[in-house]
Amino acid sequence: MSEYLLQMKNISKTFPGVKALDNVELEIKKGEVHALIGENGAGKSTLIKILAGVYTPDPGARFFFEGKEAEISKPLDATMKGISIIYQDLSLFPNLSVAENIYIGRDSHKKPWTKVKWNDIKKIANKALKELDMDIDASIPVEQLSIAQQQMVEIARALAFDSKLIVMDEPTSSLSAGEVEKLYNVIDKLKKQGISIIFISHKLKELFKVSDRFTVLRDGKFVGSYDAQDMTEPKLIQLMVGRNVTYEKNQATVEVGETIFKVNQLSKEGNFKDISFELRKGEVLGITGLVGSGRTELAQAIFGISTPDAGTIELYGKKLSIRNSAGAVKEGVAYIPEARQTQGLVLEQSVINNISLPIISKLKNKFRLTDRKQEVKLAEEYVKTLDIRPALPHLDAGNLSGGNQQKIVIAKWLSTKPKVIIFDEPTNGIDIGAKTEIHKLMRKLANEGIGVIMISSELPEILAVSDRILVMRHGRIAGELNVAEATQENIMHYALQGKSNGKAPTFVAESNQMSQGV
Amino acid sequence: MKSIIKQKEFSIFMIVVLLCVVLSFVSPVFLTFENFLDIIEGNVVMAILAVGMTLVIITGDIDVSVAAATTAVAVIIGNLFSFLPDSWISILILFLIAPVIGIIIGAINGLLVSKIKIPAIVVTLGTLNIINGLVLYLTNGQYLNSSNFPKPFLTFANFEFLGIPILVYLLTAVAILTWFILKHTLIGRSVLAIGGKSQSAVRVGINYNKVKLFVFAYMGFLAGIAAIAQTAYTKAVDPNGLLGVEMMVIAAVVLGGTNIQGGRGSIQGTLLGVLLLAIMQNGMILAHIDTFWQKVVTGAIIVIAVSYDQISYRRQQAKLAKIEVEA
Amino acid sequence: MKLSKESVLGLIAIATILLMSLIAPGFLSSNNINNLMFQLPEFGLIALGMMVVIITGGIDLSITYIAALSGVGAALMLVNGYPIFLAILVAVIFGLACGAFNGFIVSKIGVSPILVTIGTWVLFEGIILAITKGQSISGFSETYSLIGNGYYMGLFPLSMLIFAFFVLVTGVLLNKTGWGRNVYMYGSNDVATLFSGVRNNRVVMKVYLYAGLLAAISAIIMTSRYNSVKVDLGSSYLLQSVAASVLGGTKIEGGYGKVMGTVYAVIIFLTLSNGLNLLGVHRAIVDVFIGVILISVLTLNFFSDKIKQKKETTKASKVA
Repeated sequence: MSEYLLQMKNISKTFPGVKALDNVELEIKKGEVHALIGENGAGKSTLIKILAGVYTPDPGARFFFEGKEAEISKPLDATMKGISIIYQDLSLFPNLSVAENIYIGRDSHKKPWTKVKWNDIKKIANKALKELDMDIDASIPVEQLSIAQQQMVEIARALAFDSKLIVMDEPTSSLSAGEVEKLYNVIDKLKKQGISIIFISHKLKELFKVSDRFTVLRDGKFVGSYDAQDMTEPKLIQLMVGRNVTYEKNQATVEVGETIFKVNQLSKEGNFKDISFELRKGEVLGITGLVGSGRTELAQAIFGISTPDAGTIELYGKKLSIRNSAGAVKEGVAYIPEARQTQGLVLEQSVINNISLPIISKLKNKFRLTDRKQEVKLAEEYVKTLDIRPALPHLDAGNLSGGNQQKIVIAKWLSTKPKVIIFDEPTNGIDIGAKTEIHKLMRKLANEGIGVIMISSELPEILAVSDRILVMRHGRIAGELNVAEATQENIMHYALQGKSNGKAPTFVAESNQMSQGV
Repeated sequence: MKSIIKQKEFSIFMIVVLLCVVLSFVSPVFLTFENFLDIIEGNVVMAILAVGMTLVIITGDIDVSVAAATTAVAVIIGNLFSFLPDSWISILILFLIAPVIGIIIGAINGLLVSKIKIPAIVVTLGTLNIINGLVLYLTNGQYLNSSNFPKPFLTFANFEFLGIPILVYLLTAVAILTWFILKHTLIGRSVLAIGGKSQSAVRVGINYNKVKLFVFAYMGFLAGIAAIAQTAYTKAVDPNGLLGVEMMVIAAVVLGGTNIQGGRGSIQGTLLGVLLLAIMQNGMILAHIDTFWQKVVTGAIIVIAVSYDQISYRRQQAKLAKIEVEA
Repeated sequence: MKLSKESVLGLIAIATILLMSLIAPGFLSSNNINNLMFQLPEFGLIALGMMVVIITGGIDLSITYIAALSGVGAALMLVNGYPIFLAILVAVIFGLACGAFNGFIVSKIGVSPILVTIGTWVLFEGIILAITKGQSISGFSETYSLIGNGYYMGLFPLSMLIFAFFVLVTGVLLNKTGWGRNVYMYGSNDVATLFSGVRNNRVVMKVYLYAGLLAAISAIIMTSRYNSVKVDLGSSYLLQSVAASVLGGTKIEGGYGKVMGTVYAVIIFLTLSNGLNLLGVHRAIVDVFIGVILISVLTLNFFSDKIKQKKETTKASKVA
């Protein structure tokens, strides 16, 4: 018998235009917790989807399960081998009961006319919930649960499946501290039963706490597998990034000018409350906080995607009443969304059409028709000034890399001549080189007098780019810091504990970064 | 109790009751057992089709070829009748052949939707046209009367048990069978799962294409049954008799609380939806309202039902607040 | 030199015409050519309206009933002795009102276009039935019949000129205005347009309004040509217009579609059904034919996309 439960070898995956994985391997021992780490876009989720049978790898891939050569070409193959995947966005059915959600998939290999055994389902579900000390009614539909409870249901499903291997993709990202402890206990218990776990997380501290071994991926390539004892945090970061990268903390003292933008007591039920801040000329305002602290919701409310219940927004002293995104654009407010591919760009249209999207109705010739020449010229200019590569503006936006796609989104907003730009996770999933370029660009725009707000979970990025930092927590502003006095520690303190109400933090307490991507 | 009242089916039921009360004042004939039986028997075909359409709409698709498929099967069995002996075997043969033809038609739709990934509305519009064209070509629009129907079939059609016509039992059987499939079999749960979240369904190993194929084939199966019911009810085959019925069917399903975007729907709800439409039509006849207005009412009901559904869906989505804001 | 999808269709259209002139007796007779020329506009207008809706990723199943309702509106004005221009105005108003109704429910309430237009299909049909009691309205003035039957300078059918005008207008609107661009962008990714400050609901509203307008214009031509109107005015064009859009290269998921592609597809359909008729093929079989073409084209598209994807993937893996 091999000491390995699972071995994946020669794993490559090519998508039209990109090679997402290039000859990667992954070996999981029996009963170990194995951390799979890498930056956004390193290929972790592609690898997991191949393991799950959702993607088919390029020819040449080989799988060994319990020492024997195996085939995983569809989700059922993985399920039948006892591999359970807990995706970050969960695989639940909102319309079905908790019990059925836990049980579902077990019988996928059976004949379609198989009678559903409701008693067994209830029994199995209740047993799994009990193991997790979950006190919820298994007969209610999942849509009535909170996100944290839903995630526990998903873990209960993996338990109920008697899995040999459980993959957990960022399992703690929306769990409370108590629930995280419970999860660690469960992981311990599973380990003792000889179950292996692949653990994906951005929280390095957490990884060191639970993992026995690490496998590091970078840019779709296999970097190496290491024992946890031989590993340190800085070494791990260096392996992930490929070189020793730490951002310089922003040292510059900027001359701040007049107030450009002012938000006063802005509230929206279930999203954020009593948000007030000012943005002054020349500065970059950073907004950070844990995932789910209301940052994106705030930005989208300012941009008119949603409507706040109360509060005011002022631009250069003028009160704005923004009812939709068109209104925001008209007033000179721009928003670069976090979800670049779905919200930021129209991937199957050309770079030119994307850049001119918000102003197309204004690009008119003397016959009041679209001035294509001017439009192309405008796009070409931005391609040049922002160094968008390849410099082929007629190409579909979807054919460009992440960093260049983000530059298209920025070009699109610059074409509207905005007074304020909100960048939401502007460097998410972008390679190091492009990241630095975008950081420089934000600084340049601020120097030119455009109001720049940057939302980011990456504390090093927040410290490197911002002049002033707002920390959000539970929909409120928990603290404000000047960059000079800010450190990762005191930002985390605000993000977790808030000002000083003495309440126990509801989010993961031990992580010192919200997402240590870099 | 509270949970019963909250259910959509309950509110539809209350509307039905209310309508009955109003109509009993409009016409004394309305609230008689005979009238009710007539209403139900007259809508058996629509109800059978609506039961099948419920599954299609739960998975987020639509099938506008159902009435055409039913007519096609009816035309085929009508022509088959002259070859069938005057014996009870004929009924058996009928119940074998009609569903099989229906399944074949449904499976073609299903394959084009699941394997070739053509939107269901386009596929079924296409098959609707093809079937209607073929039926028109082969029958020349000619009506087939019962003169060459086997005697046992006519006996079957007129059969009553405990004073209730056989077709009502047929509908009951179809409804219970479908309810059972939806509630208690793997394939039925997969239908709801795909409707609830297709991405999750694929991840837990549910065969998406197979389920879609099943849903359309089952719709075809019920179209075959409906064809028998239609032939038995009218004791004739009319190539134009079911024109436009697919719209009524869709209206009944949507009215019965089945949601095209969320894997929600039930057989009970659909039957209530059919009942509501049927009573409304009956009421309009009793109240001497021009039959042409019935279409207006049906259309308005579809528009209002889908709009109401969308509005309440949005409200419900908005309620799912993502962030626990500190007080 | 690679030909665009639309040019290939144009060549296919010419080939169909050549084929039919060779095999269908009397295809080239002036009578038949005339017939074709007079049929093209009414079908073409509805197909263009359908195409614009499909580019947004929607579908308008009520479009032929909008046409019929507009036709009824015009007919009622005419038989009650109102002047022609008022009748035309009423037809256009009816078309726009129906379009606005569809547009409102799709864009403001957010119901899927299929469900909305299935509902309005029945609704509009019902309204027509309630107005006409299922009867046809007929007997319009000589002058009115000129719209659909008359010639300009004794040579060009007037209706062809109207059609040519709207082909041009649709082309310009789609390719040379902000609205047109937004129609394509919305069809590709409506979330991204919303996040770019595009007023999505206005874009969509105008799409259904425009489809309603084209349906109304088609209705004016049809009523004038047939000198009567009934509930099923133009109803056979429903599936044909979807089929013509799809055959013309319009992506059923939205985001792509060209005016000329649809025009060529309309010509192909008309030539085929006309030629088959001349060859003695039953009218019903021609309908079957159109259904088969629609499904075959989409099936072929599916397989050719698959092959293309495979090629790209192999190319990419070679590069990488």
